[in-house]
Amino acid sequence: MSSRQIIVENLIKRYEGDFYAVNDVSFLVNAGEIFGFLGPNGAGKSTTITMLTTLSLPTSGKAHVGGFDVITQAQQVRRIAGVALQDIGLDPVMKSLELLTMQGQLFGMSRMDSIKRAKELLELVRLSEFTDRPVGKYSGGMRRRLDLAMALVHKPEILFLDEPTTGLDPASRRDVWAEVRRLNVEEGMTIFLTTQYLEEADELSDRIAIINAGKIAVEGQPAELKAGLGAESINVTFSDLPTAELARSALVDMVDRAQIDRKTLRLYLQKAAYAIPNVVNKLNELNLQPLSLTLTQPTLDDVFLQVTGQRFVDEKEETEEKAPAEAVA
Amino acid sequence: MTAISQPIAQPITEKSNGMPLWRQITMMTWRNLVVIRRTPASVVPGLIISVFFLFIYEASLSGASGFLLGPGQSYLAFILPVSLISASLSGSGVAGQYIVRDIENGYFDKLLLTPVSRIALLSGPVLAGAVILAFQTAVILFVATLMGLQPATGFLGYVAVLVFGVMLGTGFAGFAVSVALLTGSAAATSGASFAFFPLTFLTATFVPLDFLSGWLKTAAQLNPITYVLQANREILLNGWNWEAIGSGLIAVAILGLIPFGIALFSLRQRTTRK
Repeated sequence: MSSRQIIVENLIKRYEGDFYAVNDVSFLVNAGEIFGFLGPNGAGKSTTITMLTTLSLPTSGKAHVGGFDVITQAQQVRRIAGVALQDIGLDPVMKSLELLTMQGQLFGMSRMDSIKRAKELLELVRLSEFTDRPVGKYSGGMRRRLDLAMALVHKPEILFLDEPTTGLDPASRRDVWAEVRRLNVEEGMTIFLTTQYLEEADELSDRIAIINAGKIAVEGQPAELKAGLGAESINVTFSDLPTAELARSALVDMVDRAQIDRKTLRLYLQKAAYAIPNVVNKLNELNLQPLSLTLTQPTLDDVFLQVTGQRFVDEKEETEEKAPAEAVA
Repeated sequence: MTAISQPIAQPITEKSNGMPLWRQITMMTWRNLVVIRRTPASVVPGLIISVFFLFIYEASLSGASGFLLGPGQSYLAFILPVSLISASLSGSGVAGQYIVRDIENGYFDKLLLTPVSRIALLSGPVLAGAVILAFQTAVILFVATLMGLQPATGFLGYVAVLVFGVMLGTGFAGFAVSVALLTGSAAATSGASFAFFPLTFLTATFVPLDFLSGWLKTAAQLNPITYVLQANREILLNGWNWEAIGSGLIAVAILGLIPFGIALFSLRQRTTRK
């Protein structure tokens, strides 16, 4: 058992009233990997992370973090795991240097060492100029960065990030991504991150698992999952649904799979670009006039649609919903 | 004890609490004092009210002192302990308030993710609260001195009364702390520190115990606060009456141990993983 692995076997979290927040989840995170745990709100992402980080107990099942059992060896897990939770828990009247120094000392560092480490980390997350300002006066992005620094104080081997970019503006989000990559590449940290952004999972993760309604729907490398859908697709939009249906029956034999999403016919096939002339000819033959025709690489959204039969939550809507909650916090 | 003072690396199992417990406790206490210093609004009103009580009681009843007390005895020294006890009770809420604050802003969970001892999470705010209680008591004693207080036991009398105030308030802190840990609610916690306020009046508040009669006398005799009050009065008015002081200490112990038993139980409730 490698020390930087996460092994989860048949993990279940049941709340009163027979609600299964996490329902028989198993997965493996390899040492030195960035593992994206993707799912819509309420899918069970945070519940999983609270169990893996020793804040709550599984109803049943097993989990090992860095070779330690999260149920019986919680104290050891806390030593090697760094955790940045979705709700940033920082005392608003304290200052960044104080919080980081205390955190270091609680992990057993001497006062001198933890001050040194704190300054190093403040430099790293670009907060060195703001050490005199109480954390309550920080912007959302600054607090998120400080929280990340808090998680890194004791040089963890495995880092847990629960929705690290939710509520952040695009620039801050890119900053967090760059930092996550750096920690993974330069420090060899295993990183487990949950996200509700498809783009983020796609961009950062070596491997992902999609969780929906407490169950893992699919697991694998983003590229592999997308490739599994039949590589690319040609999307032909028509003025109405009957026309799209007609086109599908005419074209379905030419492709791997044809699917109708509203008035758009999606044709999944290998080397889709080569097939465009044939598709256009066939449509001409039948005198079916498309409104538009596009070629797309599959996205994780398509993967999600395929494995769950529903579209992923609209990202924009989600950010807007989240924003006021963030402001209150 | 020698093991603690040796700076040699400890085995991994020992390292799970990296820092010696007493260092964790001092650090948590310091942290809470920093927070209290930056949010003084939660401490100042209780202090003002206690000083206000002292003025009012003294002004309204000191004229009757010749009749209530022995000749030449000061009503100020007689009523001062009431003010001190009410300050202890209102100051006892401080620890609970600051625990609830950490629970609400999420910092409590953050601390639970570190190897910090659970006992340090409880003792930090409680000891910070004790420092505040000592400060409050000292301020009230200072004001009383300006008003003409001359304790029968001199300077040591001040110290003894201060120690009583801190012990009583720290004991009572257990109640607000328990409510804070069990409910995580600020409203419930501030309510808890007022729950025992009636105890300061179900006793020989304004007149000596012998002047009471009927149900109030019975209530006062059962109320442990009465014995704390009498110990303080003896120290300020008459001198080192060890019997009264002994009863006072027993009363303080009873008033402190019960809340802290509950507080330890609540701490376990809050920090046990569910």
